Amino acid sequence: MTDLAGFWRHTPRLTLLAMAVLLIAGGLMAVASETAYREEKVGDVEVQTRILAITTTAALSFNDRPTAGEYLTALSASPEFEAAGIYDAGGTLFAAYTAPGMKPVPPMAEPPGHHFDDDTLTVNVPVMQDGHRIGSVSLRTELEPFARRAERYVGMALLLAMTLLIVLVLGAAQAALTRANHDLAERARDLSAANRALNAEIAERERVEAALRQSQKMEAMGQLTGGIAHDFNNLLQALSSCLQLVGRRAKEPSIQPLLETGQQAIDRGAKLVQQLMAFARRQTLRPEPMDVRDRLLGMADLLTRAIRADITLETQVEPGLWPVEVDPTQFELAILNLAVNARDAMPEGGRLRITARNRPVDGAGGDLVQVTVSDTGTGMEAEVKARVFEPFFTTKEVGKGSGLGLAQVYGFTRQSSGRVEIDSAPGQGTAVSLFLPRTVKPVAAPAKERSLDTARGAGRRLLLVEDDPIVGSMVAAALDEMGYAVLRAGNAEEALVLLSDRALLIDILFSDVVMPGAMNGIDLAHTARRLRPGLPVVLTTGYSEDIARTEGVRVLPKPYRVRELAELLEAALGAGVRVR
Amino acid sequence: MEERTLRWCSPLALSLVMVLAGAPVSIASAEPLEAAVKATFLYKFIAFVAWPPGAFATADSPFRLCVEGPDPFGDLLDRAVAGQSAGGRPIQLMRRPQFEKGSGCHLLYGTLAMDRLRGEPVLTVSDADAPGGSAAGAVITFVLQEDRVRFAIDAAAAQGNRLAISSKLMSLSVRP
Repeated sequence: MTDLAGFWRHTPRLTLLAMAVLLIAGGLMAVASETAYREEKVGDVEVQTRILAITTTAALSFNDRPTAGEYLTALSASPEFEAAGIYDAGGTLFAAYTAPGMKPVPPMAEPPGHHFDDDTLTVNVPVMQDGHRIGSVSLRTELEPFARRAERYVGMALLLAMTLLIVLVLGAAQAALTRANHDLAERARDLSAANRALNAEIAERERVEAALRQSQKMEAMGQLTGGIAHDFNNLLQALSSCLQLVGRRAKEPSIQPLLETGQQAIDRGAKLVQQLMAFARRQTLRPEPMDVRDRLLGMADLLTRAIRADITLETQVEPGLWPVEVDPTQFELAILNLAVNARDAMPEGGRLRITARNRPVDGAGGDLVQVTVSDTGTGMEAEVKARVFEPFFTTKEVGKGSGLGLAQVYGFTRQSSGRVEIDSAPGQGTAVSLFLPRTVKPVAAPAKERSLDTARGAGRRLLLVEDDPIVGSMVAAALDEMGYAVLRAGNAEEALVLLSDRALLIDILFSDVVMPGAMNGIDLAHTARRLRPGLPVVLTTGYSEDIARTEGVRVLPKPYRVRELAELLEAALGAGVRVR
Repeated sequence: MEERTLRWCSPLALSLVMVLAGAPVSIASAEPLEAAVKATFLYKFIAFVAWPPGAFATADSPFRLCVEGPDPFGDLLDRAVAGQSAGGRPIQLMRRPQFEKGSGCHLLYGTLAMDRLRGEPVLTVSDADAPGGSAAGAVITFVLQEDRVRFAIDAAAAQGNRLAISSKLMSLSVRP
């Protein structure tokens, strides 16, 4: 099929070739025919001239002009003879014949042979007698007129004309076909280009619309969440105040536990509200110029503890990284949130990579610093990806996550005039990038404060009770940095198991008040002091400081600074020694 | 070729007849020029006549050209045949008052009656103004027409003498 198509594609060329061959053959044939005709004619006329020469020998010999003239006149029977002449031995014209209206023969004899002039053929033949030349005869005949000769070639000319016509038609058809094909191909190209452009536009529009929808949704959620959180905060505040008032007035001892339970519930609610506020970007930020490099390197220990041993941590920071102006605590919390999520996405272990680099932006918008936390974990489906930043959206099993981690990341970056991008696909891992605006303000050096804290509680064993793993990890890291040997417990029951172990040396207990389970921090404090009298206890809570006015128990109001924690722990330890 | 020549002869003969009818024969006196022409003609006749095989003794026997009686040519004839040949044979001139049968002549010019030589392979040539005239019985008889020397050929006499005369020569023959 292809071969045949290829053959037909060559048809015009082949036809041209065939026509050229035909033309050449025709020309050669015409020339050959013409030559043959002339040769034949020469032969014919020569024979006739010889006959005439032989016939005239006697007339010439006996000088008989009239007879010679009559011989010649006999030629008039044929119209093809134009003129004839008989010359004597001296070459002088002896007798002549000229057809009507024709040119006479020359007066002197021409040498023997033949020659063509225009449309005539002249043949000269010597007249011989006994081996002697006694004269010559000249005979001039008209050749067949060219027009009549040409008639013989009419057939061939017709054939040629037909071939030419066919070639012309074929050529025209081929040209038209080629042009049509070309047009068609061009139109198809245009069409496909237009289609591509259209598809690209549709895709772009869909993407933009999706982004807009997502943005609107997040905005709406933020407003809703913010509004609810604000109202709830007020309600909780009011409720808390109410409970405190009730506590002061009620003398019935049995009412106190009820009040405490109520206060615990309010504490938990307050925690949630705070996280909601973070998402709704309503939290109070304390932004300061910050060196991301210092922060990330400072968090290394904390992060190592937050993730498991089967996960390797890599931190890459571009040299000369620009500073950003954000709330350092919230920044650390965001990174920690991402690290915990990454850890949970890698149940089989893997690699957690934190990179930070400059992202110069041309034109409006200003330069950015990109901090990316990526893992080699399970990744997520597009549907999940679209909703991860929503508050309370979680894929973790009940009780394992609050669904507020990424919401905090989202709220924090948005409130810091930055943005978050998430890149993930099932099996391909997840990369979350924070884009934070660059700042030109100088960074204050906080290094000394940290070194001051370091090794303050050297050698002391501290039992940390904190249900929130992120907060727990952070605090544990901070305590570790101060030189404490930290024991961890996720709730009061776990802590009690550790406290019950007499062999275990514990110098101080640091616990959250609001915790899941049957016991809260206050209950734990009481029980602990029963189990280990004189054990210094520090409780922390975002709410009522009154609830924990127990002997030997100190309360650290949330949120607190590491320095405050360190000082309080130190104070508690010092007091505990005295008590003991 | 012969046929072609013969075909051309018929209209030629007709025209000759017409010419002769309107032109009475005028006899001019013999002039030296006339004699010279006749002498040349005598020699030239040889080429147009074929003798029977027995006419020559051998393949290289000479051709005998005989002049009978008074010789009108003198040395003109000698000059005409000098260095010439007749079909490869040398030409031998013989002059006698009279030639008889068996004299070996191949061509005989004379003004006597030629009947005596009938049957001999000899081309007899005579003059129209000779005593015997055209009735002398010669094969070829010279005549003068319009001051030109022409000749008449008696085909029957030629046949009688077993001579084959070329039609080319025949075509030049005038009516005696």
